[in-house]
Amino acid sequence: MVEQLIANLRGFIPEVSLAVTFCVALVAGLIVKKHQQEFISVLALVGTLIAGVFVLIYADQSQTLFSGMIVADPFATYFKVVITLCSIIIILFSQYSSEVQQTVKRMGEYYALLVAMTLGMFLMVGATNLLMMVLAIELTSLTSYILSGYTKEATDSSEASLKYIIYGALSTGLMLYGISILFGLTGATDMFGVNQALAAGPVNAIALLIASILIIAGFGYKISAVPFHFWTPDVYEGAPVTITAFLSVASKAAGFAVMIRFFKVCFIDSNVVGLPAGMWASLQGFEWNNLVAILAVLTMTLGNLVAVWQDNMKRLLAYSSIAHAGYMLMGVVVLSDKGVAAVLIYFAVYLFMNLGAFYCVMLVANKLGSEHIDSYKGLGHRAPLLSTAMVVFFISLAGLPPTAGFIGKLYLFAALLDAQWVWLAVIGALNSVVSLYYYVRVVRNMFLRDPEGSAEPVALPVAQVVILLALVIPTLVLGLYFGPLVDFANASVVMFGLP
Amino acid sequence: MVITRRNPVISALYLILNFFCLAGLYLTLHAQFIAVIQVLVYAGAIMVLFLFVIMLLNLGDEQRLKEKISFTKIIAAGLGFGLLMELIYIVGFIDVPMPAGDFSKGVEIGTVEHIGKQLFTTYLFPFEITSVLLLAAMVGAVVLAKRRMD
Repeated sequence: MVEQLIANLRGFIPEVSLAVTFCVALVAGLIVKKHQQEFISVLALVGTLIAGVFVLIYADQSQTLFSGMIVADPFATYFKVVITLCSIIIILFSQYSSEVQQTVKRMGEYYALLVAMTLGMFLMVGATNLLMMVLAIELTSLTSYILSGYTKEATDSSEASLKYIIYGALSTGLMLYGISILFGLTGATDMFGVNQALAAGPVNAIALLIASILIIAGFGYKISAVPFHFWTPDVYEGAPVTITAFLSVASKAAGFAVMIRFFKVCFIDSNVVGLPAGMWASLQGFEWNNLVAILAVLTMTLGNLVAVWQDNMKRLLAYSSIAHAGYMLMGVVVLSDKGVAAVLIYFAVYLFMNLGAFYCVMLVANKLGSEHIDSYKGLGHRAPLLSTAMVVFFISLAGLPPTAGFIGKLYLFAALLDAQWVWLAVIGALNSVVSLYYYVRVVRNMFLRDPEGSAEPVALPVAQVVILLALVIPTLVLGLYFGPLVDFANASVVMFGLP
Repeated sequence: MVITRRNPVISALYLILNFFCLAGLYLTLHAQFIAVIQVLVYAGAIMVLFLFVIMLLNLGDEQRLKEKISFTKIIAAGLGFGLLMELIYIVGFIDVPMPAGDFSKGVEIGTVEHIGKQLFTTYLFPFEITSVLLLAAMVGAVVLAKRRMD
């Protein structure tokens, strides 16, 4: 027993290093003097980096750990890389956000909770037991509730946090209820066990459908899919911008990972023969992917249409991130390795472009103290570099070449057309057109309008320019040279225990 | 009795009685561990918290709610009645066949020994993660509460 546990720990080193960083940052926050708080950010950064290095060192393993609670496989590794990158970038952001730096008195807990959230996401992407899945989702959610209410004495941050908790508690409750029904039907909390029980004999189809809808409610909340999205705009607006960016990328990535794994492992029918390579079938004709297709259409349409009316940049990006969740759900619908690979590619791309967009909004808010779209008027003349970078991110988010966003969308639509989901692809393409409108609206304000009030140039410190370039360059490069990324994603669709 | 009493403290005390009844139900299901925990945690710890909150809030005389028959109340009554009928129907008229099989394993599952064994072998990992979760929650509670004080 003990030897087995110790052997398992070897596959679990990234998570262990995160847990250690969490504890050390917590203690360091109490010891270190107030004016030396940057030390903790360095500590958190180093801890996350070490975790990332371990993820890459153990990238090729594929095994189950701790009595089948979690697995370490290529699929989990890919998401761990994305999440680690996102955490590192967010820790760097936090250094330069005046919103965070000025209002937070104690940075120790802030970074500690950020690391704990990363740990929760790591566990989410690897969980193969329903119990473990819920626990990991809770760890992620709980830390994000706290962090979204962290700064500002003002009410909107507290309001955001409270709304988040209430919606979160409701969706967790729904998901737990769904899981309890599923457990009742199959008698297993292990995903492979659920799969075996479902394959062994027919179960009550209505009960299975209800359980799936309830569980989708839990996932939908994490990836902010319509109709579980109500918290998103308020939380994104009220939370500090660094946390908003983190939630919109890493939290969403982990949500997608756990959702794809749950549906693929639980409902795959491994006995069906004659399918094209890379496709898989669903058990007993249980068409859960139709549910997800409806969700995808609702999510992207509502996200894009409502984003058109937004004047606050954070809210605009919140609705845009809802729309992007919709696009990515399309990749889940097709039940093929190609679709999953497309989602993986999209996340790598989305990481850079969305974090970049949030970073620009943060820098503008630092200088101008406003997130309103009118304050962007004439910014193109006052801060050419910042505005140009923002244009690149927005073009990428809209999915136009030659940026990375185009590649992400290209692979998604290719996977859809491959699996004969033409109508869904058409809706997705129409949505992209709508999204172009509100992105261009910001660009127009920056370049084609005269500035209101002061017109003095906005200068950026060198370090901030470096981070900005570190986000712009991948967004452009991945749009032109995407071979390695695609290969990595294609290699990462392999899940443990599945052919 | 919990919801009909006018005095909140007396309601809370009746709630303890309710918890004991629930513990009794668990006992009849051979879940001794849950029964004991039910009494210890709910009837013990959580009720003390309830009573503290009630006393701290220092509730005065409750204002009598105006009895108005609104549309929502009619719907609520209708739904409640429907559910009651359903329950009566299920209990009274449907004969649920007893599933065959060996039930001795079910008796064993509820014991403290079995739960302890499971918790520290198969479920050791979730158990450890729960500790991280609780630590994060605790830190968060302190942080959020402290922010308002200073």
